[in-house]
Amino acid sequence: MRVFNEIAVVTVICIKSIPQRFWASLSTVVAVGLVVTVLLAFLAMAAGFQQTLRGTGAKDMAILMRAGAQAELNSGVSRDQARLIEEAPGVLKGPDGKPLVSPELYVIVDAVKKSALPDDGNMKKAPKSNVTLRGLGPAGIAVRPGLKIVEGRRFTPGTNELMVGRALQKDFVGMNLGDTVKLGNASWVVVGVFELDGSVFESELWADTPVVQDLFHRQNVFQSIRARLTSPDALLALKDYAANDPQLKLDVTTEADYYAQQASRTSDLIQKLGWPLAIAMAFGALAGALNTMYSSVAARAQEIATLRCIGFSGTSSFLGTLAESLVLSLAGGILGALVTWAAFDGLTASTLSGTTFSQIVFTFRLTPAVALQGVILALIVGFVGGFFPAWRAARIPIVEAYGTP
Amino acid sequence: MSDLYLLWRNLFRRKLRTFLMMLAIFVAFVIYGVLGSINYAFEHGVDSVADNRLVVTNKITFIQPMPFAYVNKIAAVKGVKNVTYASWFGGYYQDPRNQIGTYAVDPESYMRVYRDDLRIDPEAHDTFIHDRTTMLVGEAVAKKYGWKAGDRIPLNSNIFTNKADGSHTWELTVAGIAYAAKEASNTNFILFQHENFNESKTFGKDTVGWITLETDSATVNDKVAAAIDDLFANSTAETNTQSEKAFGKAFLAQLGNIALIITLVVGAAFATILMIVGNTMVMAVRERTKEIAVLKTLGFPSWRIWRQVLGESVLLALLGGVPGLAVAALLVTLLAKGVSGAIPGLALTLPVTALGVGFMVLLGLITGFVPAWTALRLNIVTALGRL
Repeated sequence: MRVFNEIAVVTVICIKSIPQRFWASLSTVVAVGLVVTVLLAFLAMAAGFQQTLRGTGAKDMAILMRAGAQAELNSGVSRDQARLIEEAPGVLKGPDGKPLVSPELYVIVDAVKKSALPDDGNMKKAPKSNVTLRGLGPAGIAVRPGLKIVEGRRFTPGTNELMVGRALQKDFVGMNLGDTVKLGNASWVVVGVFELDGSVFESELWADTPVVQDLFHRQNVFQSIRARLTSPDALLALKDYAANDPQLKLDVTTEADYYAQQASRTSDLIQKLGWPLAIAMAFGALAGALNTMYSSVAARAQEIATLRCIGFSGTSSFLGTLAESLVLSLAGGILGALVTWAAFDGLTASTLSGTTFSQIVFTFRLTPAVALQGVILALIVGFVGGFFPAWRAARIPIVEAYGTP
Repeated sequence: MSDLYLLWRNLFRRKLRTFLMMLAIFVAFVIYGVLGSINYAFEHGVDSVADNRLVVTNKITFIQPMPFAYVNKIAAVKGVKNVTYASWFGGYYQDPRNQIGTYAVDPESYMRVYRDDLRIDPEAHDTFIHDRTTMLVGEAVAKKYGWKAGDRIPLNSNIFTNKADGSHTWELTVAGIAYAAKEASNTNFILFQHENFNESKTFGKDTVGWITLETDSATVNDKVAAAIDDLFANSTAETNTQSEKAFGKAFLAQLGNIALIITLVVGAAFATILMIVGNTMVMAVRERTKEIAVLKTLGFPSWRIWRQVLGESVLLALLGGVPGLAVAALLVTLLAKGVSGAIPGLALTLPVTALGVGFMVLLGLITGFVPAWTALRLNIVTALGRL
């Protein structure tokens, strides 16, 4: 028990002495905090992006595209293929007995991000961003049960009416209820704003398929078919059906898998940028931590020697010094997490997705799991930064410590 | 005893501490060098583009095609010199993940417009123009897959279907390699004949993706652009004409605010060393209070001591920062090879280096300022009394 008492006493002495080296200790805390902030900002970006795409698409929703197309943008399916899918096994039927199948058009249009708007508000000069315009079939809304119209109403089939995703509306210029949007040489009116579980669809514009086909000269061609399945297991039946019909050269996946695959690519990239940067910066902070702790040990040399004289073990000096370093870095880690939370959590950003070739709006998310990674990095810096000085503390030759004035 | 000698000995009085400071500064400048180079390449990669080049795209978005007839109509607009056109093929080799920027182009006019950007051997040039089934491969692509002139390569499209056999594959022969004539030119591309493409695809016949043209001079750019867009106003495919520079910049901007992210990260790295080094310098000079008092007693003028402390901190910043930039240069070279031309012109350029050295001096001056001031104002009597 005595050993534990000793350790406790020395730890308290070390931590209570921190204010004596206030500026040096503060610089360690801030340096570690900055490292953690950089790491967490990147990780929160990756997590937010991933969450948006992972939240997109249900497991019981099949998406069918031309074989080898990889993305809706490259795909093309015909009306006949869509009809065949309506008769496919495993497809859920709506209350009216019609199959829940929606052939969808996927085109890219230009829009202006709020952040890209020049100071004089001249829309013509603003750099444009790619945005998805999705043409929905008659069952387009029925296949997506999670849909909530938060403002206005649905578009009326056959008219130039648009529904705007919530995320897109927040991030882009002129997408509010009642606004007129010019796409090509046709004018569209925004009649509704929708939410769909924070998914990628909220970065899209929705309109009636025939009207979009007309504008883009794509009669009878669609990019994908959405089909709601009776259960996630029904995917196999649908796959078999498509494989056995030579007219259906289509790739069949669940919507959840389709978007999850896209998520992993971009968020991997963001994490691959964030970690090396944070680790490099951590070396810089480590140098600072080592320096602070060495000067702490040097300042307490006589004190440590005295403790050793009256019978305290070297272990207690070692652990006490290590504890001081860990306390400083933990404070830095928590500071970094708090700064990230205050400055970045909930921040909206958008980027061009390589697969969809259009903007995906997402929100930075500092999840507890992400924050923990930052704190762990801080503690590693604290541990290494405290270990070597602590080693010196434990081995200070008593006579020499008194010899230095 | 020269000032410099004294300065050097003072700096390395505590070797471990100085080494740690140098390490922290080193890391910050490696980060600055790499990120600064990437930012520079992004911002100036498009600057090397000729000023008098305009791009015409469909107004809806640049991936929506336009009628082929637009090419000749645009060529007839006053102020237009050379016109060429291209279409996106969605090409990949073997695996859909091996995407290659593949463009169907009109060989003769394309190479006329891009004469200053690409270096092509005359023989390859001729083959490419006369043989419809050939392609011109950018240096980066040729290196990656080990292709050489004469190789027959099955190239896949993730968009189009080949009329010949209903597959998504086009067999093309390598006519030759296209090299970058300017450092900032991207060679991660494949060019093949638009005529071949137009006749063998199953849909989208007689359309072009975008039209590139040269104006008589950059001064008439705006006029020509307006004339072209007016020409197609109220047609089924309205156009948007802008300079190739603006087009490139707008595309990069779509990825996100790269410059802001880089500035924040570099700012955080510099703030870290500012804290660490600034503090340590204060500590180091405080330890020497008595020595400084002795120097002053011996008749050293205050400004000389002031200069020495500042010199010490600037030297420290340079000793950490210069190797940092050197390592950054190495990393950037490796990175440029790794991304095989995806970021054209990626290198540690002179402006980035010069600014880096400026930051080192600034860092030294800021971190040395407080201790130097303290040393300057030091009162001999109190300092010697402080035992």
